[in-house]
Amino acid sequence: MTPLQTAAFAVALRAYPRAFRDRFGGEMRDAFARRPSWRQLASMIGDGVRERRTAVQLTLTSPAHVHHLYEPSGRHAVVWDGLLADVRHAIRMSVRSPVHTALAVTALGLGIGANTAIFTVVNAVLLRPLPYRAASDLVMVWNDDTNSRKPRSPISPADFVDLQRESRPVLALEGCFSFVTSNRLTIAGQSEMVNAEAVTPGLFPLLGREAALGQSFAGDDAGTRVVLSDGFWRRRFGGDRTVIGRTVQIDSGSFVIAGVMPSDFVFPYKGMLGPSGFTTSPNVDLWMPLPTLLTTLNSQFRDRSGQLVRNVRFLSAIGRLAPGVTVQRADAEIAAVARRLEAFYPDSNRGWNAHVVSLDEQVVGDIRPALLLLAGSVALILLIACVNVANVVLARSVARRREFATRAALGATRRRLMAQALTESGLLGMAGSLVGAMCAWWGVQALVACAPDNLPRLDEVRPDAVVLVISIAAGLLAGVLVGAAPAVLAAGADLRGSLQDGGRGASGSTHRVSAWLVVAEIALALVLAVGAGLLLRSFGKLLDVNPGFRTDHLLTMQMNIPQRLTTPDARRAFYTTFFERVTSLPGVVSAGGTTRIPLGSTSVSTMIEVEGHAVPIGERPAVEFRRALSDYFTTMGIPVLRGRVFTADDGATAPSVAVVNETTARTVFPGEDPVGRHVRFGPASTGPWTTIVGVVGDVRHLRLDAAPEPEIYISGVQNPPVAPFIAIRTSGDPARLAEAVRAAARELDPSLTLYDLRTMSDIRSDSIAEQRFVLLLITAFGVLALTLAGVGVYGVMSLAVAQRTHELGIRVALGAAPSRLVIMILRDALVLSAAGVGAGVVAALALAPLTASQLYGVRPVDPLTFALVPLILIAAAFVAALLPARRATRIDPVQAMSAP
Amino acid sequence: MDRFRADVFLPLTPVAFDILLALADGARHGYAILQDVESHSGGGVHAGTLYRALARLLEHRLIDEIDAPADADTADQRRRYYRLTERGVAVARAEIQRLETQLTTARSRRLLKPVRS
Repeated sequence: MTPLQTAAFAVALRAYPRAFRDRFGGEMRDAFARRPSWRQLASMIGDGVRERRTAVQLTLTSPAHVHHLYEPSGRHAVVWDGLLADVRHAIRMSVRSPVHTALAVTALGLGIGANTAIFTVVNAVLLRPLPYRAASDLVMVWNDDTNSRKPRSPISPADFVDLQRESRPVLALEGCFSFVTSNRLTIAGQSEMVNAEAVTPGLFPLLGREAALGQSFAGDDAGTRVVLSDGFWRRRFGGDRTVIGRTVQIDSGSFVIAGVMPSDFVFPYKGMLGPSGFTTSPNVDLWMPLPTLLTTLNSQFRDRSGQLVRNVRFLSAIGRLAPGVTVQRADAEIAAVARRLEAFYPDSNRGWNAHVVSLDEQVVGDIRPALLLLAGSVALILLIACVNVANVVLARSVARRREFATRAALGATRRRLMAQALTESGLLGMAGSLVGAMCAWWGVQALVACAPDNLPRLDEVRPDAVVLVISIAAGLLAGVLVGAAPAVLAAGADLRGSLQDGGRGASGSTHRVSAWLVVAEIALALVLAVGAGLLLRSFGKLLDVNPGFRTDHLLTMQMNIPQRLTTPDARRAFYTTFFERVTSLPGVVSAGGTTRIPLGSTSVSTMIEVEGHAVPIGERPAVEFRRALSDYFTTMGIPVLRGRVFTADDGATAPSVAVVNETTARTVFPGEDPVGRHVRFGPASTGPWTTIVGVVGDVRHLRLDAAPEPEIYISGVQNPPVAPFIAIRTSGDPARLAEAVRAAARELDPSLTLYDLRTMSDIRSDSIAEQRFVLLLITAFGVLALTLAGVGVYGVMSLAVAQRTHELGIRVALGAAPSRLVIMILRDALVLSAAGVGAGVVAALALAPLTASQLYGVRPVDPLTFALVPLILIAAAFVAALLPARRATRIDPVQAMSAP
Repeated sequence: MDRFRADVFLPLTPVAFDILLALADGARHGYAILQDVESHSGGGVHAGTLYRALARLLEHRLIDEIDAPADADTADQRRRYYRLTERGVAVARAEIQRLETQLTTARSRRLLKPVRS
């Protein structure tokens, strides 16, 4: 008998009643062992179930005078028989009060569904390993620029080669561009813009992934191969398998399509990229070999003596830890190498450390706090829903005290009564998990649809079997939570008493438990509502942030100028014509260009040398570097604070000029006037001096909630770019101008590529999409919690009124004014909600710091939020109590007192 | 107490009858019964079915349990042995009688060849 068969036999044997197993199990095992077969096991299970039925029948129908295998008490059968009876009874009871049941199942279903949906996202984004082999051993290496306090800086090619060689014992290191490039792909004369990522040939083997079709880069000699992403292959080539080996033109070079990566392969994730780059999207259409690019772009990446540059940093480094090496050890090793490099090349490397971060942290570290916040909130919702349903169940169990008492009187044990109560709530839980699974299935898709595009790993989120498993688990848990209170009450109730008083008397313990539940519910709802309130306030502050430019009536786009314009003069002439054409379009107020558009692009920085500032090369200030074309500042609405901006006089032959922003003026020229000062750019700083002619206002470049960085603008006329962003200020709706601009561009030159046409309002709104998403969910949860709490208060007050009908009837009969009754009920509700609010405020104060990472401009202990939210909750409780209070006034004293 | 009536157990299930037949020679353990039943009925009896039948026979006291006989080998010593009770013998006889009546009827209606004596 194989171990599997042994295990299967043990399982199959469980189908039989215990007495039967004890008596014949051993013999059956022997018999089975001599001739094991799966068919025999199947028939065994069938027989076992039949035997169970026989056992139940025997114990029920045959009194003790028939001698049989089973204990006369029939204990072995009771579990099954009792369960079946309980289930039947529970279903009968729920059908009898359909409204209660529907409400309970809906509340649980919503709670379970929301939890399952959020957990599915958490599972896909945070818990499931990245789509690489042994992804937990993968790390990233970053430079730590201590001069400008930028701990996540890219690495220079020369440093990369040294790091790769020196760290080999602990870390296998491969690299890629720390940004995604936008390239022109030409196939058979047709060209389009694609997103490409340059990688070292060893990167895919390091990640442990191979091409699904053809090959990825093999060995060191990647040559001029290119590897396609699955999505691009399907989109552009319709999944044609014969593309392998085809030659395509990328920019000015020829490449051979070597392979197509699997559909689940993603590289890079946004977190793997540095702060600079041309596109904000990490979605890649194809991968190119990095060494080939370094060779062809020779001049940029080698200094005059032919060495790889050490002071231009643009590589991301991805490593695999050697067996047994921890992140900490690799980090120490890399830091040591960086220190050696610093000592050896002080000119370029002073102040540049290096450190190691786990890849997982790098990819999802930023989103983790937000997702955990959501998961926590949604768990609170389920808890509130459970408390609510527990109250409903409790209320019903009060109505059924007589039934329980009768059963107890007829000999049901306390265990038996508890089992019945738990069966009923368990059934509710299971029904809830069914509804929940459906909600979650739909909810996950809705979440993915609403979630911002830049949420990492979003494409990997889809509803699956996990959804089902989680909702069932949550349903069982909810069932136990919901049933616990009624079960304990059922077991502990003074049953004789309830038979005697005919189920009318004040069942103090039930009411007290129920009140406590509502207090807990209000407290939980308050915690959630405070969280939602904080995020709402924070989002308001974000919307109020002045980005430093006017975002209305602004159309932006990216442009690739025709390739034939190879000389600066040709480009200058082109830009002059282009802007003339665009500004002459009806509806255009002004137009300008830049190399980095705020909120809609990444950033790139350069080191500057200020004439007269004696600073060692390695410690020169780094500033964000942009070029401005035509009327850029006017178009964007960036104010000129001192001096002037570029004019027509700053032509090709005029002296070089630059404009700095307020932050640069403050940090680089503290106490000085920057206008008129001379600066030089780049790590080498050997060019001619450039004169600063003006100071402009700060803009929020990367995010609305990040403080402005020091910036310097040089003239786009003196240094004409090839792929600028264009900004157009319009008098009307900017979106409606897009077609006219496209037409003008086509007319000017058919090979002029305009893409990514967006209004600045959209860009601004997209830049806070993640915050909006989190806010939306938390607010929805907050409203749901508030509603549930309201329903809870309503429920418990109704219960109280119902239980006190007799007493209230007497009061009315004795002449109590209806208004006094209302006040009495409302006062009770107020006491309850005040207790809940008090407990909730304490809990919220303790939990508020958890939201700190999600807040902008609001402290976690925000006085306004903490003052308003409790008031709202108390008001909600008040409203919820009104209905039962009014019912109390309509009590007919005669009926109330004559009722049994 | 009522007099024991063998006919309330009739007809026996095939497996139950097989078990009674297997025990006609004397006490046997469960596995020996299984083997005997299989060799007589041409195979195809599942252990689960057999032991359920055994359980019913025990409950109705048509068979009972005894300790292993002294001459059984050590492996068989551990097993439970079953033997026919008087009621078991009576029921088996009643079943045989019933079957015999049926056989006679079958023969008289020429469904079955008459036995040559």
